[in-house]
Amino acid sequence: MACNSIVIAREVWDTRDLLPGVVSGNALNEGALSKRFEPEDLNALEMALQIKDKQGGKVTVLSVGAVRDVDVLREALFRGVDEVVRVVPPTNELDTAGQAALLAAAIRKLGTFDLVLVGVSVPEGENSLLGAEVAARLGVDQITYVDSLVELGADSALCKREIEMGSEFIRAKLPAVLVMGVYLLTDDPRTPRSAKAMLKLKMKKAPIPEWTAAELGVELSGAKIVVAGFEAIPRRQIDTKDVDPESGAALKAMLDEVL
Amino acid sequence: MADILVYIEHDADGITDLSLQCLAKARQLAGCCGGKTVGAAVLGADAEKVAAEVIARGADVAFAVEDAALADYLPKPYAAALAQLLEQQPARLLILPASTVGNDVGPLLAGRLDAGCVVDCSDIACDGTVCTFKRLDFDAQAYTLYRNAGGGLAIVTCKDGIAEAAAAGAGGGEAVSVTVAIGAEEQSTTLDRREVARKTVNLKDAKVIIGGGAGVGNAANFQLLEQLASKLNAEIGATRAAVDAGWVSHERQIGQTGVTVRPDLYIAVGISGAVQHVVGIRDAKQIIAINNDPSAPIYKMAHYKIVGDLNSVVPKLVDLLS
Repeated sequence: MACNSIVIAREVWDTRDLLPGVVSGNALNEGALSKRFEPEDLNALEMALQIKDKQGGKVTVLSVGAVRDVDVLREALFRGVDEVVRVVPPTNELDTAGQAALLAAAIRKLGTFDLVLVGVSVPEGENSLLGAEVAARLGVDQITYVDSLVELGADSALCKREIEMGSEFIRAKLPAVLVMGVYLLTDDPRTPRSAKAMLKLKMKKAPIPEWTAAELGVELSGAKIVVAGFEAIPRRQIDTKDVDPESGAALKAMLDEVL
Repeated sequence: MADILVYIEHDADGITDLSLQCLAKARQLAGCCGGKTVGAAVLGADAEKVAAEVIARGADVAFAVEDAALADYLPKPYAAALAQLLEQQPARLLILPASTVGNDVGPLLAGRLDAGCVVDCSDIACDGTVCTFKRLDFDAQAYTLYRNAGGGLAIVTCKDGIAEAAAAGAGGGEAVSVTVAIGAEEQSTTLDRREVARKTVNLKDAKVIIGGGAGVGNAANFQLLEQLASKLNAEIGATRAAVDAGWVSHERQIGQTGVTVRPDLYIAVGISGAVQHVVGIRDAKQIIAINNDPSAPIYKMAHYKIVGDLNSVVPKLVDLLS
C-alpha cells in the first residue's frame, strides 16, 4: 500500500565539539557556531524514503525559514524526495508554537497524508516539542521517541518507542505524527543515506516553492516563549592524563590516585 | 485552585524520583510570581492512593483522576484529562518530569491549549515577578534563558537534578477526586505491549560505575567488566547501544533515556562519547576512559586516557587490584 509521508526538516546549530567562547556576556557568539541538518530529522527523512522504496507513495519535505548555511530542502532533493516546500515565516522571532502553527497549516494545504515524520531534537537537548505540537494542531495521533516502525498497515502504524528502562509498542491510527528519537550506529540499517551525485547535478538549480504565512492563512499573535538571554557556564577544567596501557606502574599509579 | 501544578508520574514501584524532584522545585517556587499553592496531578490506576502519598511529600492539594481510559499511559487521553483538570483547576505553571512521558504529553497539551512550552529545563529561577526557565545548551557551555512572554499558562518539563526530593512528612494538604470524560476520539492510539526491566540495581547512588559501550564488542567481554566491578565494589552501567545489542539489561542504561549518575569514579570502556550517553555521566567526579580509538570524544571529559584494547587493559587492572 502506497504511503504519503511529509517530513519536517530543520537547519540547526552544530553543537558537537564546541570550542569555548560560544557565549560571551549574555549573547550568543554566532560566528563560533556552524550549522547542520538536524540529525534526527535526517533519520526521519530516511524512514520516509525507506517506506517509499518498499511500498511506494510520495515523500514531501517541509522546512520553516530562510536558509542560513545548510539548505536542508536541497539536501532532501539530493536524496530523492518528490517535493519540497519552504514555509516563509512573517518574523524570525518564531517560537515552537509559531513554527507548529505554520507547519500544521502547510500540511493541511498539501492535502491528504499518511505520516508526518520529524526528529525528536530541537537545536539543543532532546525533546519532542515540535512534533507533538504539530500533532496537537492537526488533531492526529502521535508517537514520540520512535525507535523503529514495526508495521505499517492501511489504517494504522505500529512503532517501537524508546522509554526509560525499556520500550513499548504503540499503535497509532493514520494519519499520524511519528517523532524519531533514535541515534544510530554507523552500520545500522536505519542510517541515513548520502546525497546522490546524479541528483546533485539534476537538482542543483531546481526551483523551491515558497509559501508565506499569509498564503497559509496563519496569523501569529507573537511568541509566547522568548529567549531572554544566555548564561555562560564556566568550563570544567580537566587535565587529561595519558596513561600507558603497557606500563603496570602507570596503571597502578592511576588506581592509587582515584581510589 | 493551585498556582503551580505538578504532574506526578508513578508506576508499580511508586512515584518516580524525578516527579518528587519537580514537586520539591514547585515548593521552592511557591510564593514567587504571585502564586502560593502547589497542586499535584495524579492520573491513572491507583491515583487516589498515590495522591495521599503526594500530600505527605508537600503538595497543598492533590487531584486524583481515575478513568478506564487512563489505565495505561498514552498521550491523547492523558492530554485530554490534564486539559479538563486545568479547566476545572486553573494554574499558571504546569511542571512535568522531563521523561518520555512528560516530554510526550507536555508539548501535546501545550499545542492543544496554545500555551507556552519549554522542555528539558535544568533550573527554574524566579526574581519575585517573573520565572526564567534555564536549559543547558551548547555542549554544556551555556544556559539558554527562556521567559513566558505570553503571560498565560506555561508548561515546563524538568530534568533530573532540578531539586532534591523531599522526605515524606505529615503534610497538611488534601486529596481531591476529579472526574473527567474521555471520548472515543481520544482513544485511537493503543498500547500493544510494554517491555520494561524491573529495577534491581541502584546506579544513582553507586560510588564507582564501570560503563560499557558498543566498543565492548560482545556479551562475553562484559564479563571482563564484571570482574573489574567485583574488585572495585562497582556497579555495571552501559550505553543504549550496548543495551540494544542485548549484552546488558535495560536497567543499567545511563544517559538520555536511562539514568543520570554522579559517581566518584566512572570507568568508561569502549564508549565513544555520544552526547546521549555523556549527558548522564557529566557530573562524575573522575572519569577513566579506555578505548582503542585515540580520537574518541569521551577523552575530552576524561581525567585519565588509556588508548588500548580492553581485552588486555581490563585484565591488567583486575590483576593490579587482586
